Amino acid sequence: MHKGFKLMVALLAVCLVAVPAMAETLKVGVQAPITGSYANEGQGIENGVRLLAEQVNAAGGVLGSQIEVIACDDQGTAMAAAICAKDLVNKGVKMVIGSYTSTCAEAAQKTYFDAGVLQTSDGTADALTEKGYWTFLRNSFPNSAEAEFVANYMVNVKGYKRIVVLSDFSTYADGLGNAAEAAIKKLGGNVVARDKIKADSQNFTPVLTNIKSKKPDAIFFAGYYSDGGQLRAQQMALGIKADFIGGDANDNPDFVKLAGSAATGAFIVNVPSPDVLPYDIAKTFIADYQKKYGEMPPSIWGLMNIDGMRAIIHAMEQTKSFDTKKAADYLHNMAEPLDGITGPIAFAKDGNRKGGAYVVKKVQANGEYSHEYVQ
Amino acid sequence: MDIFLQQLANGLTIGSMFALVALGYTMVYGVMKLINFAHGDMVAASAFVGLTIYTQVMGQATSLIAVVVIFLLTAAVMACIGIILERVAYRPLREAPRLSAVVSALGASLIIQNGIMLIWGPRMKIFPELVPQVYWDIGGVVISLIQVLILVLSLILMVSLYLFVEKTRIGAAIRASSIDQDAAKLMGVNVNRIIALIFIIGSSLGAIGGLFIGLYYRGITFNMGWQYGLYAFIAAILGGIGNIPGAMLGGMLLGLFNAFIAGYVSSTWADAFTFILLIVILIVRPTGLLGERVAEKV
Repeated sequence: MHKGFKLMVALLAVCLVAVPAMAETLKVGVQAPITGSYANEGQGIENGVRLLAEQVNAAGGVLGSQIEVIACDDQGTAMAAAICAKDLVNKGVKMVIGSYTSTCAEAAQKTYFDAGVLQTSDGTADALTEKGYWTFLRNSFPNSAEAEFVANYMVNVKGYKRIVVLSDFSTYADGLGNAAEAAIKKLGGNVVARDKIKADSQNFTPVLTNIKSKKPDAIFFAGYYSDGGQLRAQQMALGIKADFIGGDANDNPDFVKLAGSAATGAFIVNVPSPDVLPYDIAKTFIADYQKKYGEMPPSIWGLMNIDGMRAIIHAMEQTKSFDTKKAADYLHNMAEPLDGITGPIAFAKDGNRKGGAYVVKKVQANGEYSHEYVQ
Repeated sequence: MDIFLQQLANGLTIGSMFALVALGYTMVYGVMKLINFAHGDMVAASAFVGLTIYTQVMGQATSLIAVVVIFLLTAAVMACIGIILERVAYRPLREAPRLSAVVSALGASLIIQNGIMLIWGPRMKIFPELVPQVYWDIGGVVISLIQVLILVLSLILMVSLYLFVEKTRIGAAIRASSIDQDAAKLMGVNVNRIIALIFIIGSSLGAIGGLFIGLYYRGITFNMGWQYGLYAFIAAILGGIGNIPGAMLGGMLLGLFNAFIAGYVSSTWADAFTFILLIVILIVRPTGLLGERVAEKV
């Protein structure tokens, strides 16, 4: 290569790097489990954020600035999440979308708080909003809301007499399990066992055998679909004739595939799924998503995160500033909720999303869901 | 009492899977004095290979013959990979310090694990229901067809392996190579061939273990080899690493121990107790349950 040519290439490279920097982009971080056990969900979040960024950029950007998406893979582990947080802050992001799991969101929270970076996650663990970080905005409904719904359904609607509450050790699942146990007891329900499984350990029969001896008529499982499907299969294999009620994170097509023929009759509690969302904005966004990626969003969780991102962008436009503190103050004190893909969005002072809407679905013999009970 | 028997059945099922995988560790260690850390990932790879054979080669056939063919083909493919692994990762380092071979094994483990992720993707794959969901309820103890299959097949494989090593000429050559490779060479044993054979047997047993995991639990992930590898490694040490009946005993004991701790104490503590058991055994019997005290060669 000639020296002159090398110099030209170098100059061109400098120009390419320098030009967008001069235009002052709005950097948006994505922290999601793009690989690992929850890769499905993580990729859904990243895809959704990139789609929304594209749409906003095409419409002129935010306050005239184009959005630049920077993704970091936290693999669903707290350790990688902490590294992602530092990395995204160093790259100068104003807001971070994600992560999918409460554990990862929690591991990254303090770093974002210290740097004044807004974080919006679908993590449902109550612990996430108990630290008083103004930077954290929950775009889903907290575990306590789901726990109360589950307790009411199990005790008052179904009238179960011997309930087992099972969870894994993660921030989300343990929190939901404890909240459900407390809520069931508050309604006068009889919790005969509260046990825990190790996520990904596959062999749940020892715990289930123990549960069998308690002769339960219902098992509530707070945990993820990858364990829930196997748990349901092993429950049926052991001949435990109790109803299985899975928490929101069991709502994934893989739950039914994993449990196989044993899936039939299992109940899953969740917020409504993307295909039944009644809002126009939801229908348009999902259609755009399908056009771009050739598939449905993996679940509603990715869409909740998109709503979180939309809310922050909305706040920046309303306050006419990229100041994250101003945006957070605006969101904490919104008079009118913003129309969202997953319903109206408004935040309480502690960063919790207001409201809550749940449904109970039942798995049919053909693997499809039927809606059993709507709040 | 029925709870006790149920936990016994659970423990024996998982224990026989541990034992099959542990045999691969212990046989390689016996002859080469090398801990083959890639073995766990080979087990994971075999579940994925089996799944691909089912969907691509067998056209999703679910007959009994199809299942047998899947087992045989997977074992054959994994045996080939085992030989390649030995050739590429271990043979060039046979005269090198032992630590180099261990580092090479760890590297091979990462390559296989990431290879699975690149070929089959990071998401969990679902194994088909190849064995019908048949259950028997015997006085409150529920046993499934797949549990019986796993237990019986594992026992048959383990007994045949034991007889093969103890009663045949090739078995005698394996034992000779594990005692002293140089002396075995002088007696006319082709040690390179014996080592290749060890990798064939170890990898095919691991492959069958991997298929059992897929058939029994149905969900397989690219990184699951680490967990099963670790348990099988503990089982091999428990029984006395390098000792074939020891690996079988170690695997079964570990499965039972895990089931009973999870059932009677707490599942929260099952892993911690497993490691406590390992430490206690190593303190009381440093060579494992069936390991023999061998004088160090000087």
